Amino acid sequence: MLLKTSLRSFLAHKGRMILSLIAVVLSVAFVSGTLVFANTATSTFDKLFASTASDLSVSKAVEESDQNGPPRGVKPATVPVDTVSRLAGLPGVRTALGQVFSQSTVLVDPVANKVVGPTQGAPTIVGNWTDSPRSALDLTSGHLPQGPDDLVLDADTAAKAHLGLGSKVRVVATSGNYDFTLSGIATFRTTNPGAALAFLDTATAQKTLLGEVAYTSVDLFGDGSRTDDQLKQEALAALGSGFQGKTAADQKADGAKGVGSFLDFMKYVMLGFAGISLLVGGFLIINTFSMLVAQRTREIGLLRALGGSRKQVNRSVLIEALILGLLGSTLGLAAGLGLAVLLIQLMKLLGMNLDASSLEITWTVPVASYAVGILITVLAAWVPARRASRISPMAALRDHGTPAEASANRIRTVIGLVLTALGVAGLGAAAAAHKAADGGLPLGAGIVLTLIGFVVLGPLLSTGVVRVLGAALPALFGPSGKLAQRNAMRNPRRTGATAAALMIGLAVVTGASVVTNSMVSSVNAQIDDSVGADYVITANSPLTPAMADAARTTPGVRTLIEQKQLQVTFGTPDGKHPKSPLLVVTPNFTEGFRIPAVSGRTEDALGGGISVDQKFATEHGVKVGDRLTVDYGQGRTQSLPVGVVTESGSVLNGLPFTSFGTVAKVLPADEIPGDDQIFGIADPGADKDRTLTALQKSLETYPQVQVQDRAGLKDLIQSQVNQLLYMVYGLLGLAIAVAVLGVVNTLALSVVERTREIGLLRAIGLSRRQLRRMIRLESVVIAVFGALLGCGLGLAWGVTARKVLADQGLDVLTVPTATIVFILVASAVIGLLAALVPAFRAGRMNVLAAIATD
Amino acid sequence: MTTAANAVHSAQQSGGRAASAASARQVTKAYGAGETRVTALDAVDVDIERGRFTAIMGPSGSGKSTLMHCLAGLDTVTEGRIWIGDTEITGLKDKQLTQLRRDKIGFIFQAFNLLPTLNALENITLPMDIAGRKADAAWLQQVIDTVGLSERLKHRPTQLSGGQQQRVAVARALAARPEIIFGDEPTGNLDSRSGAEVLTFLRRSVDELGQTIVMVTHDPVAAGYADRVLFLADGALVDDMTAPTADSVLERMRRFDGKRTS
Ligand SMILES: Nc1ncnc2c1ncn2[C@@H]1O[C@H](COP(=O)(O)OP(=O)(O)OP(=O)(O)O)[C@@H](O)[C@H]1O
Ligand SMILES: [Mg+2]
Repeated sequence: MLLKTSLRSFLAHKGRMILSLIAVVLSVAFVSGTLVFANTATSTFDKLFASTASDLSVSKAVEESDQNGPPRGVKPATVPVDTVSRLAGLPGVRTALGQVFSQSTVLVDPVANKVVGPTQGAPTIVGNWTDSPRSALDLTSGHLPQGPDDLVLDADTAAKAHLGLGSKVRVVATSGNYDFTLSGIATFRTTNPGAALAFLDTATAQKTLLGEVAYTSVDLFGDGSRTDDQLKQEALAALGSGFQGKTAADQKADGAKGVGSFLDFMKYVMLGFAGISLLVGGFLIINTFSMLVAQRTREIGLLRALGGSRKQVNRSVLIEALILGLLGSTLGLAAGLGLAVLLIQLMKLLGMNLDASSLEITWTVPVASYAVGILITVLAAWVPARRASRISPMAALRDHGTPAEASANRIRTVIGLVLTALGVAGLGAAAAAHKAADGGLPLGAGIVLTLIGFVVLGPLLSTGVVRVLGAALPALFGPSGKLAQRNAMRNPRRTGATAAALMIGLAVVTGASVVTNSMVSSVNAQIDDSVGADYVITANSPLTPAMADAARTTPGVRTLIEQKQLQVTFGTPDGKHPKSPLLVVTPNFTEGFRIPAVSGRTEDALGGGISVDQKFATEHGVKVGDRLTVDYGQGRTQSLPVGVVTESGSVLNGLPFTSFGTVAKVLPADEIPGDDQIFGIADPGADKDRTLTALQKSLETYPQVQVQDRAGLKDLIQSQVNQLLYMVYGLLGLAIAVAVLGVVNTLALSVVERTREIGLLRAIGLSRRQLRRMIRLESVVIAVFGALLGCGLGLAWGVTARKVLADQGLDVLTVPTATIVFILVASAVIGLLAALVPAFRAGRMNVLAAIATD
Repeated sequence: MTTAANAVHSAQQSGGRAASAASARQVTKAYGAGETRVTALDAVDVDIERGRFTAIMGPSGSGKSTLMHCLAGLDTVTEGRIWIGDTEITGLKDKQLTQLRRDKIGFIFQAFNLLPTLNALENITLPMDIAGRKADAAWLQQVIDTVGLSERLKHRPTQLSGGQQQRVAVARALAARPEIIFGDEPTGNLDSRSGAEVLTFLRRSVDELGQTIVMVTHDPVAAGYADRVLFLADGALVDDMTAPTADSVLERMRRFDGKRTS
């Protein structure tokens, strides 16, 4: 019976529920879409690893920290050729295959002079073709690599690069360039997630990739008599020390870890945004139910007068919410599948290939969708439901005019003020912190607390701010302006909730844009300040000596500064063993960079010593002249005197540096990685622009290489930061869209609620235009109010976050005035758009019918 | 062009209409069609005299409200023509009708007359605000004084009693000096004392300010305040009484009831 009334009431108000429903659908779609996408991605990789992993893969033993493969441009570790025969003879081994694989090469189409394969994300892998029983690919056209000229490419990559049998393909390796002819094309058995795979015959692969006759690993396939673990034990026992083995399960876990961390990051980011839009949707639902309850005051009063208990009233509202949540979750679940397909297409653009036709829908997806959708709806309806149950039977008898103007009550104000004050204190503490690590927690707490505080204070703020905002309206827009101002103020709680929804998204946008803008200007300032080099040469793959030579001999280039990066473990005087990247540079480093020193001399660090950053020095009690041990892994260590302590926040990003010569004393040449970056300095007399063009021309044959002058570098950084920012904007777009729905919802319901008032206004001569303008202005006031709160909050967050990150290189604060002005103007436009339909409907209302409604 | 044609046309149809504040000629209003067709007004001819207080009475469902709405340009007629002053309103577009209501007509409804967001004074001046006209200060003061609201001008409607609210509504209707004021049971929701206050005030505004008022009412006592009472039954004008008293109206009403029971 209760269910029946709820259902009937729900259906009767379905028009008013529709926007709340959309909000639930959107939020749930985000949740389910993210989960389905992540599941599908994981399963694509799992399938690939599961179908290709050998029972055991044996390779040279490396330390835990080097498990992710050698640094860029370092020749992979190898095992001797006889390992294959030694393993093949073991009991239980059916096949042993010597593998040669390298990820530090680039494939180039020499005719089009373009990179073949992915330029970001997925790897390019070049190796030897073996007749593995679990090959990932099947040859589908042409023939296998049989000589020094043959190369087989995977079909996806070939198709993307428009290469066919007979096309030329160049392999750019550390040791030089090698040209091949495409002899065959192989197709993945499962979905290729986006990597480029090229195969040579074994001898050619060894020569090209390793420069020696050896294997990078040996893959074993058992005959089924032993488990993989037994196989591993026996194989390692037979080989002696210096080898490591990975079972199929280990390989799968390794593979999953590699892609998993990226996917997990994406998943959490997206779930975070889903959370924001859920929160925003919650406000919309609160408003809808508040208004429904307000409109039904009399009806509920009657129910109570006739003997309905509080509980029944409360429950009837909650059941209505439950119906909404159920319906919204179901639709959202379905919409989520569409979103997942969309995400998969998007990832394709980014180079990750997933199979959209086999969406992976596990039981967690519907469970999470329904839990989230229903929970948020019922929670949001809780407050109005309680209010409904408090309606006294007397309300039935009272003339119900308009709902009582809810004024922000005192408890609410106190709670809001306390939360905001705590939040501000958190932000203050964060800003005062000396290190980013110490500032993180108070910053996070400050952000959350100020956000909640502002949401709670919303109604109170709305009374004040809207009064100020709206003060100009009567003067500017006459009676419509006056009525709009009063309407926006008449229900502070509703205005507050509607604006809060918009505030959340805009606050994050503003905060993010303060941080990113500061990031860009900090980097720019650093380039202007500390970088004296004229050109930067970079690539997504290691830079080879051949490239450096090509750059060095370019006319107009005086000198090159080469920079590599190594992962090392330090031994400090205080007995600690911090891990850190180490920059390895040519001795002319200071010609291209200004390195401000706290104590000591840069020259000493470059001439057989090492530098440390001020923060590192304080933390570990290191002074100039102290010795640090540097562990490069593989048992190669060195003890170096500290030559200089550098200022924090310099162009070095807090990293220590040393020179090529110093490192070369302990590391053999083939363990030193390729250059990370090469910086060029022009001849004093040379035309800088012309030299740039000349440099680009000399490196033309390496399409993976980018040459930039300082302006170009700044542009590059700007565009990278923008990419990040646009992604944030894009995702927040959903939250903002839901918030706009909230404004539409509030207006639409207000129009319905004020039907008689509108009728009266029309009767005494308010024209349709004036009426529409009144509604539009109210909408604009609410939207701008939300935007003001959002910008204010976002500014506070952004400025504090910048301060916290100051020692991470964000030493310049830039407030994106243009963005903020844009947000404010855009919010006014949003207000206008949101009012479109409600205003139109109000204008079309029949005057007589409107007067007659009760 | 239209005006000239109208003038000739109306001169033929409506002898003496020029002296009227509002007139209806052969006005028929029907709702629905076919089986469910209801004729709310059936070829009604009526002239509302300028500067007088006219009451419209009749049994429930007789078409009083419909007639008033048609006369005031709130509703369209099925057939017939209506004038407010010299302006024919039948056939006017919404925009012109709105303007006409704004400039020439005042309204007092039975309930919900005031905007809750505006205070009493703002409610009173609202029609002029909407029209973008400045209120005539002296006149406004006179109206406010007459209604006796000087003390309550800053109050919101929720802070006023029902009678006070209706008086604000009356002041609003008067303040803009409309050619004609329509009231649909303006005292219907009031107790007899508040009702009497409002009616006395309406009476005075006719006598002292020369206002034209048309009022729909069920109450013979209220009708007793008027100069003239029009009786409607089944959508037709059945009687017209001048200088009515509560008793004479009551008497006339009884005859309706008698007729109905017979
Ligand atoms: N919108 C409408 N649709 C259909 N019929 C209507 C509509 N409005 C009024 N009527 C009918 O028109 C007739 C006259 O209605 P009207 O409201 O004018 O009566 P009234 O004299 O004002 O009655 P009361 O004294 O009860 O207010 C009635 O029979 C009514 O049912
Ligand atoms: Mg009526």
